[in-house]
Amino acid sequence: MMVAVLMGAQVDRAFARRTEPTSALGQDSEAVGRACYDMALRFHRGGRLLCFGNGSAAADAAHIVVEFVHPVIVGKRALPAVSLANDAATMSGIARSGGFEDSFAAQLRLQAAAEDIALGISADGECPNVAGALSVAHDTGLLTVALVGGDGGQIARIAGLDHVLVARSKDPRVVKEVQVTTYHVLWELVHVFFEQPGVLAPRVL
Amino acid sequence: MSGVESLYPFLYSGKSDVEAVLADVCRSTTEKTEEITRLRADVLELYRDQLVACASAMARSFAAGGRLFTFGNGGSSTDAQAIAELFQNPGPAARPLPAAALTTDVAVLSALANDVSFDVVFARPLAANGRVGDIAVGLSTSGGSENVLRGFAEATRRGMLTIGLAGYDGGKMTGADTIEHLFVMPSSSVHRIQEAQTTTYHVLWELTQLALSPT
Repeated sequence: MMVAVLMGAQVDRAFARRTEPTSALGQDSEAVGRACYDMALRFHRGGRLLCFGNGSAAADAAHIVVEFVHPVIVGKRALPAVSLANDAATMSGIARSGGFEDSFAAQLRLQAAAEDIALGISADGECPNVAGALSVAHDTGLLTVALVGGDGGQIARIAGLDHVLVARSKDPRVVKEVQVTTYHVLWELVHVFFEQPGVLAPRVL
Repeated sequence: MSGVESLYPFLYSGKSDVEAVLADVCRSTTEKTEEITRLRADVLELYRDQLVACASAMARSFAAGGRLFTFGNGGSSTDAQAIAELFQNPGPAARPLPAAALTTDVAVLSALANDVSFDVVFARPLAANGRVGDIAVGLSTSGGSENVLRGFAEATRRGMLTIGLAGYDGGKMTGADTIEHLFVMPSSSVHRIQEAQTTTYHVLWELTQLALSPT
């Protein structure tokens, strides 16, 4: 019974913990909008979206891909996107031969073209394999987008990344929730740029 | 003129349009953050007690050796994975708990879809692996995914604790007598529903940890 009382109080605290970081995303809306515009330019030039992350962020990478490839809103066009975190054989194979730190960078070196978009996700920004892949992507000329949390960690310290969107919480669960909203918005707003005549025209595809 | 701009001058033909669209998208982003905050408040209001009851039941199951199985389609399949990962690998301060997402085994999934029907892709692995006292968590934003509903039916037959996350009005999941704890995110936006579902399973995890921790 005692535990139930504790849990009841914890529910309210847990929900309350989401409010500020979510509101902070609203305050960062211009940074989100500019990332969407740059992503729309890359798609317009024939670029593909390459997503990667570890753990729960690997699931987010897959989620982002399904948003773009199979839009929930009927009539929106499918855009090319791939997750580099889905294939356990490839991931574990690279980890064994080249080290875990190379798990995304090695795939990027083989698969990425300069017009592509690299989107790395990390709750605290301290993922060496995500950071490594973003550095390789930047050096290759890809548009680089990082979704991070906390203080942005080592990923936020990489020089020259195009868009670093920081979820303003230290709780990895809250960070993930802000990131889910962020990438839902990224998907939706990329399409807004596509639908505005004159912003991206003429089509080159 | 920047390097990119000189290469692709046509992309920059409507600069004023771009700024106008940017202003629109900023407004839209802020509105969406307000929308999800309101939805979370609604979910808390609707389900405060049930979240505690559900997490208590999950903790009892884990304490008795139960394992968690998660399932869903599309974006919800990634939530199923995220839930399994969170319970198994929660970081140093929390207790790891046995969990598996049924959406990650492409061999099983495609074999069943090819040989039988996509409707059985979750029910069949639950029939094979599920035991009395295990936990089934299924997600469907519409509440109408046939394979998720059949997963719950099988889980109930096996004597598992069943937990459903849905959206809109809950669809067929609302009427199903195979779901003991059902959380319906009252929204018509698939995106906001998924975001509120994510909060719901994070809070369930947090409460389960609390219930299992020695006091």
